[in-house]
Amino acid sequence: MIQHDPVLISAALAAAERALNQAIALAPTSHQELDALSGTLLGIEITSLDLTLYIDIVSGTEVQLMMHCERATDAFVRGSMEDFAALAASDDPAATLINGGIELEGRSTSLISLQQIISKMDVDWEAPLVEVLGDVAGHQLAQTLRRFFRWSEGARASLKRQLSEYLLEEGRLTPPKAELEFFYDSVQSLSMRVERAQQQVEKLIAKAASNRKTS
Amino acid sequence: MSDEQGTAADREDDTTDFGFTRVDREAKAGMVRGVFDSVASRYDLMNDLMSGGVHRLWKRFTIELSAARPGQTVLDIAGGTGDLAARFSKLVGPEGKVILADINAAMLEVGRDRLIDKGATGNIEVVQTDAQALPFEDNSIDCITIAFGLRNVTDKDMALRSMLRVLRPGGRLLVLEFSKPVSPLLGKVYDQYSFQILPTMGRLIAQDADSYRYLAESIRKHPDQDTLIDMMKDAGFMECRYHNMTGGIVAVHQGFKA
Repeated sequence: MIQHDPVLISAALAAAERALNQAIALAPTSHQELDALSGTLLGIEITSLDLTLYIDIVSGTEVQLMMHCERATDAFVRGSMEDFAALAASDDPAATLINGGIELEGRSTSLISLQQIISKMDVDWEAPLVEVLGDVAGHQLAQTLRRFFRWSEGARASLKRQLSEYLLEEGRLTPPKAELEFFYDSVQSLSMRVERAQQQVEKLIAKAASNRKTS
Repeated sequence: MSDEQGTAADREDDTTDFGFTRVDREAKAGMVRGVFDSVASRYDLMNDLMSGGVHRLWKRFTIELSAARPGQTVLDIAGGTGDLAARFSKLVGPEGKVILADINAAMLEVGRDRLIDKGATGNIEVVQTDAQALPFEDNSIDCITIAFGLRNVTDKDMALRSMLRVLRPGGRLLVLEFSKPVSPLLGKVYDQYSFQILPTMGRLIAQDADSYRYLAESIRKHPDQDTLIDMMKDAGFMECRYHNMTGGIVAVHQGFKA
């Protein structure tokens, strides 16, 4: 188990929280959208760092970032740092989300909604994070956050397409349309042949009965 | 428990630590009051300067560990200038209550004025009291915090028992306090800082080198992480654990009432 000094993480979270809330204050159109998510708690576990972070949408004008929370989360994302970095850098994030190592539990819509709200804002992650973590680490984290909160742009359509492809081709969880139609036709044809066979059997039974009477 | 860290010797010879000096147990509270009377007006400024602002992060993590919820009652002992109380006031909401308690009237006065300035008044009570004999009903508090206050209490065991009494079953105590650096190298650097730089800063900013020398000495006399865990267990707290922060310079201890 990795022992984290809570101070460094608290510092980074405090800086990111300040950047986020400043951006929210400057984007009044986001207030109503965020207000709809008010009270929502999202959890993010970075397995490779043995670190869990929480995003609490306190109100339409305030988001709080924490490293310790005892409330039940509405949605929870779990993955390694590499998984999150791959998602942030991916050209097709929906495909990365489905095929990568990230696990999603709970109401994923709240997470996607939050990402979409934040992606529309102009959050200056760079300045406060560089101030706390220094040029290199601060810049890298700012870049990851920027990408992470932008991946949902257009992700919904892509997610739908990818999900359909995954269910059909990869997971083989649902049959393709043509295969399904062929199956329905076969069932119908079989049903008709069974009916015909049943009529034949009934005719034969009737014929056998009349033969017994005449003899 | 060693003489250095605590209370066994105190009980035997009726003296106790005041920094590196042994003083009468009866006299300590008055002497500590003198220190805080002297630093009250510039306490937060000095905290910012002494810790480089990191005390805000120590407190932020402590507040997260409190898991305070709307409707709860939170007691902030040695709450002085009210920075934790202001945050708790928001977390417990109008249905909840925050009690800002301190033995020192000057610190409480600064805290009360500051809370009024912040508009955090509706659900906050201000009480001047001694942590060793808390004037609250048994099983009446959901969460108690004491940030940088326990080391100034004359009888820490008595204070811990008093806190346990007023906590509700399932309630939690959080002790945020200077502790023992985990790395010997960091310990040496920290010693240099505490005994050379800190009193100089105290002299320049608060015109009071002696009070800041006492603060540095009292930190060294305070129980280390494991000793404080034992003290909490002895007092009756359950599931006791601690988190080191900034290399163990500070630790937050947590314990629950069964």
